[in-house]
Amino acid sequence: MTFAQALVLALLQGVSELFPISSLGHTILIPAALQWHNINRASPSFLAFVVVLHLGTAVALILFYRAEWYAIVRALFASIVRGRLGDDPDERIGWRLVVGTIPVGILGIIFEVPVRRLFGSPAPAAAFLIINGLVMFAGEALRRRQHRTAERKSKPIEELSYPASILVGVAQSFALLPGISRSGISMVAGLLCDLDHEHAARFSFLLATPVILAAGLLETPKLFAPEAHLVLIEAIVGGIAAGIAAYCSVAFLTRYFRSNDLRPFGWYCVVVGTIFFALARRGVIT
Amino acid sequence: MRLIALLLAAFFFVVGILYGLGKISFLTESGAGHAHHITHLVVAWALALLCLIWARFQSAPR
Repeated sequence: MTFAQALVLALLQGVSELFPISSLGHTILIPAALQWHNINRASPSFLAFVVVLHLGTAVALILFYRAEWYAIVRALFASIVRGRLGDDPDERIGWRLVVGTIPVGILGIIFEVPVRRLFGSPAPAAAFLIINGLVMFAGEALRRRQHRTAERKSKPIEELSYPASILVGVAQSFALLPGISRSGISMVAGLLCDLDHEHAARFSFLLATPVILAAGLLETPKLFAPEAHLVLIEAIVGGIAAGIAAYCSVAFLTRYFRSNDLRPFGWYCVVVGTIFFALARRGVIT
Repeated sequence: MRLIALLLAAFFFVVGILYGLGKISFLTESGAGHAHHITHLVVAWALALLCLIWARFQSAPR
């Protein structure tokens, strides 16, 4: 992997991890489209590089939401010491994040390996990218219908029920499929559970933080594997670039979702997914 | 409920140890290195910790 390739992959990871367009799908499709045959996605050195990118993204998310995380963690510890649930909004958000993270951990362990084996090539990734776009369109349409026909009002994260938090967590697990976006699918689930776009995006990013951080930390031993010939300068620059891209992305998206919806990303996924699927079917990208 | 929570915590703790020692390889990648078992150990212990917190919520004075 050259320095330029490392930088492009890092920026791609940082942006596509948080934009609802699937980072996993893009890190399969873009190198295939650019004919980067020198990159072996299964090689220990590439896996070690991906670990650094995940850590960079997670650090960016923690920094962006540092005030929220400080308040949430403090409220959670206070709740545990007290031994009962209170009405503090930070505590309520914290327990909803804990409950929403459990399905990702369990389903990730069960399905990560078989899913990676079955769908880790361009054609399935492109197909799932199209499905990701359609899910966002369907989510937006269902939400509009819900809020037109019934007297349903949007609510903040702390008023989300625990079953709804689990539902959002289960939805997030579908991001194991390359092409399905973690933030996109969990935002759609949040919207259907009556969060507005701004709160659904915030809940999605907060929920993604422990998952991305854990994915990075749990895979950290790969950095020190004897066969992982990680070029230190590429890894450091890649991690920083992914972090900066992720920070800028989350800053943009939190503003964007105050007054906009998921449909532009739905169009992007459908169009790009269709192009890549056609290219993969014709054998242009492999 | 508190007893169930404690039993589940003990179960997940033991399962985590067994994964860590490589005694069980259920749901791990075939031919995987030690790192994949460590992932399962951490997740099992995280679940054990959550069960202990659940037990704590059952036993605190109302």
